[in-house]
Amino acid sequence: MSERALPRELPNPGWGPLSALPGNPLMWVLILSEMLVFSAFFALYAAERVGATALFDASQRQLDPLVGGLNTLVLLTSGLCVALAVEAVSVERIRRARQWLGGAMALGVLFGMIKGVEYAGKFAAGITPETNAFFGFYYGLTAFHFAHVLFGLALLALVTWRTSPENVETAAAFWHMVDLIWILLYPLLYLLR
Amino acid sequence: MTMLPGSRRLLATWATLMALTLFSMLSARLAPEDAQALPLWSAGLVIAATGFKAQRLLMVYLNLRAATPAWRGTFMGLVLLTLALIGAGVLAARLA
Repeated sequence: MSERALPRELPNPGWGPLSALPGNPLMWVLILSEMLVFSAFFALYAAERVGATALFDASQRQLDPLVGGLNTLVLLTSGLCVALAVEAVSVERIRRARQWLGGAMALGVLFGMIKGVEYAGKFAAGITPETNAFFGFYYGLTAFHFAHVLFGLALLALVTWRTSPENVETAAAFWHMVDLIWILLYPLLYLLR
Repeated sequence: MTMLPGSRRLLATWATLMALTLFSMLSARLAPEDAQALPLWSAGLVIAATGFKAQRLLMVYLNLRAATPAWRGTFMGLVLLTLALIGAGVLAARLA
């Protein structure tokens, strides 16, 4: 079960330093750059929070950690579906791969619906991005993440149509990156106060 | 294609991620209603659980276990740096 027990065979020979990464190397460049962008936003959030701790704490209490957690469960399950689609397409079970991709997209849509209900509740209560600095970050970060969800859904739809091992693996990597960002975003906005 | 994790490992990882998320949700729900801030130990647990979830997602879902130690270290280092920044923000806000 050790992660170091695998044979050292380069997955992408000819890609220089990127040749050791699994899947499409360019997708890893995108993943790394997205992680850096979000990390910079998280650092900015943390710095702003130090100057207005009471405001941020009080504002965070207006978010429901269970709704954010539910969305985490949905997105992680969607990630499992995508990973199983990669497994299926690798053994040429195209129909099964498409079924897993369909499940992943359905869960991605569910994530969007939950997020929409959450936004609607906040707007109905008069809470907008202009309310205060915390909600500026809340709407900005979650909307930026949601834009990635929408792009990921489009990618998943595309590879459901053009199903090949390389295509599915590339779209899956993007979708897992969306998972990863949400895993970091959830405690930052909903839990840590 | 590279060597994939396999369905059993994926399901075990998914179960771990679900359990850790439920643990985080529960810990937030169990915090006293009148408490403005989480106790530091609780915040530490949430950050540690988040780090472990990110590690599992990178290694298994994203299959980074098939990459070299340098790449694994780069991505995990970035996750740890991000979590350290978040943790430092929580700590600094508490001490301010």
